[in-house]
Amino acid sequence: MIDALVSLGNGFGVALTPTNLLFIFIGVCLGQIIGALPGLGPSAGMALLLPITFGLPAATAIMMLAGIMYGGMYGGTLTSVLVNVPGEAASVMTAVDGHKLAKQGRAGAALSVSAIGSFIAGVGAVMLLVFVTPPLAEFALRFSSPEYFLLAVLGITATASIGAGSPVKAILTAIFGLMIALVGTDPILGSERLTFGMTELLDGIDFLPVAIGIFGIAEVLSSLERSYDSEPIRTRLRDMWLSAKDWTACRFSILRGGILGFVIGLMPGAGPTVAAILAYVTEKRFSPHPEKFGEGALDGVAAAESANNSAAHGALIPMLALGIPGSASTAVLLAALVLQGIRPGPGLMVEQADLVWGLIASMFIGNVILLVLNLPLAPVFGALLRVPYEYLAPGILVISLIGTFATTLSLFSVGLTLFFGMIGYLMMKADLPRAPVVLAVVLAQLMETSLRQSLMLSEGNLWIFVQRPISIILLLLVIGSLAVPMLGLLTRRRMERLRRSEAKISIATK
Amino acid sequence: MNMTGKVKSSLTRRLMLFSLSSVSALLMLGAGEGYAQGKAPQGPIEITSGTSPGGTPDVLMRRVAKILNEEKIITNPIVVQNRTGGSWMVAANWVLNKKGDENTVLTIAQPILTTPITTGQPTVYDKLTPISMFIQGDLLIAVQPNSPAKTFKEFVDLAKQRERSIKVAGAQAGSTDHMVTGLVEKASGAKLNYVPFDGGGAAATAFLGGNVDMIVLPPSEALPHVKNNKIKLLAILSESRRTEPEFKDVPTAKEQGFDIVWGQSWGLAGPPGMDPELVKFWDNAIQKLAATDAWKATVKEMFLRSQVVNASQAKEHMAQLHDQHLALLRDLGLAK
Repeated sequence: MIDALVSLGNGFGVALTPTNLLFIFIGVCLGQIIGALPGLGPSAGMALLLPITFGLPAATAIMMLAGIMYGGMYGGTLTSVLVNVPGEAASVMTAVDGHKLAKQGRAGAALSVSAIGSFIAGVGAVMLLVFVTPPLAEFALRFSSPEYFLLAVLGITATASIGAGSPVKAILTAIFGLMIALVGTDPILGSERLTFGMTELLDGIDFLPVAIGIFGIAEVLSSLERSYDSEPIRTRLRDMWLSAKDWTACRFSILRGGILGFVIGLMPGAGPTVAAILAYVTEKRFSPHPEKFGEGALDGVAAAESANNSAAHGALIPMLALGIPGSASTAVLLAALVLQGIRPGPGLMVEQADLVWGLIASMFIGNVILLVLNLPLAPVFGALLRVPYEYLAPGILVISLIGTFATTLSLFSVGLTLFFGMIGYLMMKADLPRAPVVLAVVLAQLMETSLRQSLMLSEGNLWIFVQRPISIILLLLVIGSLAVPMLGLLTRRRMERLRRSEAKISIATK
Repeated sequence: MNMTGKVKSSLTRRLMLFSLSSVSALLMLGAGEGYAQGKAPQGPIEITSGTSPGGTPDVLMRRVAKILNEEKIITNPIVVQNRTGGSWMVAANWVLNKKGDENTVLTIAQPILTTPITTGQPTVYDKLTPISMFIQGDLLIAVQPNSPAKTFKEFVDLAKQRERSIKVAGAQAGSTDHMVTGLVEKASGAKLNYVPFDGGGAAATAFLGGNVDMIVLPPSEALPHVKNNKIKLLAILSESRRTEPEFKDVPTAKEQGFDIVWGQSWGLAGPPGMDPELVKFWDNAIQKLAATDAWKATVKEMFLRSQVVNASQAKEHMAQLHDQHLALLRDLGLAK
């Protein structure tokens, strides 16, 4: 404990030099921007800037790159809330509820609560990094294919309950999402599936063209139908800030989201996107007003945004303690270390103590900078929605398409995005929920590969899901998440039947 | 039509290179034009890589670019561009479509040879202009530290007791790990249970978590786990042992009576129809690179080997590699 504090003190010594402070600042600002731009996620942005770090000392380079990583988690919120285009994958849940809130004139509140939630969750996660990294890294290793499968199932079963519409429609659209995810190379056998001989489809359909198309482009298309003199969203300055009432409603959501996100971030293979989805779904169960979820629930946004930031920090634990990348972004961080001539691995925390503790200290500083940047700006960005949508729409369209182009540098993904834009538009017309499609695309690959890996590991024996201590807990959660709504439905029907029969009796006795 | 296409593509390339090259260009200020003899490319050079940043070939090429620039062997700013997708075919097609281009070269890695084989597409390597294969990597067979097997022979005996009882974690089907597993099966007669994961990192995670029994690793990735006693090395798949103190006690599979020799190799190739003068330019540059202390230090630090197969032999060498991979993938039933 004392050792950790002394090391942290030294870390602050490393991080607080003017050069390092400058690069932390540059890193988080870039992260904020990169996160906000649709398409270009933090990991791609970090990769793009990797060559610049050649000339920097290792510690400075890592601090800057890490700044992009968690800065992206703050930035992704912005486009999700304002224009319904997830800035990066981990903000997908925010695109659902955050944008609904923005339409109700509460964009500022959604942005503020995201910034505060991200900050609290981020700092909390760094505190855990300080004290318990080695034991947590060992814990992270106990997660493997069977656990990942059950986590993904937990996410998919919950899609049915997302949105206010009928669960049957939600399940149908989720299955459509699973079908999209089947396109590409079979993850186990390596054979092609549904690619129709197109090289571009060999790697499957990425989440981004689907999400940007189905959410962002569809929104733009449907806006074309509205008359030109449509009223811009009216926002009162009072609604821009987070009220005391909002804060009381959201503080436990932030706590729950933050803790859940951290645990999921720990697992190499899950990452911030899965964390955000599961935090949102969990929050719905805890919320006093679950019916608001999908229609603009501030606590849902708070939980999802807290979760993705703490997951981004949590992913550093297996990376620092074991040299294992916990997410796409930490893989780039590892690459940066290797490029600097530092070999990541279990010895890193001892051999490169200055670098590791400097990085940890820099994350405290970076999170503070991001909070200071985001809080006052939230109402300013929120006010952007006072601009009538028909002026915003072309900009949204251009940014979305450039974003998808940036991910693969090919026009094919631009076409794909437009295609999914059309699908999203038709889904809006048919009143089908759009979020389950995107969630299924995100979770399907994890679900499929981990199921097949599990069965290969157990030589086809399903007991593997019961024999492992963590997987049995997850299995119970899955069963619970399916059984509780069913029971609710059954009891409701029974009550109705009772009431009806009582009514009959009373008629009969008359 | 053709013209506009060309103009467009060169324009987009310029735009994309701009942001990165401007940074490198700043670093290059004052370097001056060093080349008098022969033809040299004008302007920034792209080394196309098919992995995302951080993959071994990507890290290697970034090092190559850095040393080439820093030692002023090539004064044009060099940018490593990741064009991921289609198991390297997106990167390969990008370069294949740049017939005669002077500013683009492609990283040659195993998928350039194997992806066309496993997907039944036409071969790629023979359409490119070979420049040089100059980096080689060894592979190790490792098991859990508590495995009862102490030698590779004992391990094979263990595997033979029950078919598919030994679980092997590796990268995707058709990857190096998968091919090595196939070689082990072929040489030993044992049947293993290969479980593909999403890349080498995920496979290592599954191994460290104790979910599988065996893994195939390059020395640099094995080292930290060896130091921490998380892994037991049974064999190295090269012709001779490595000389570093960390690995000199790991016997080759050959010494232990199993004829398994397999490794990784990387290099560079130009687009189809590359000017022979430019091939010479690159050939010289790579030979100079291999002689620098910085490169030698990199090779040592990453536990690689660097034997330069120069442009005159690269074509034959690549054809040889291709045939080896084809034969093995056929045996594994993965060739189309």
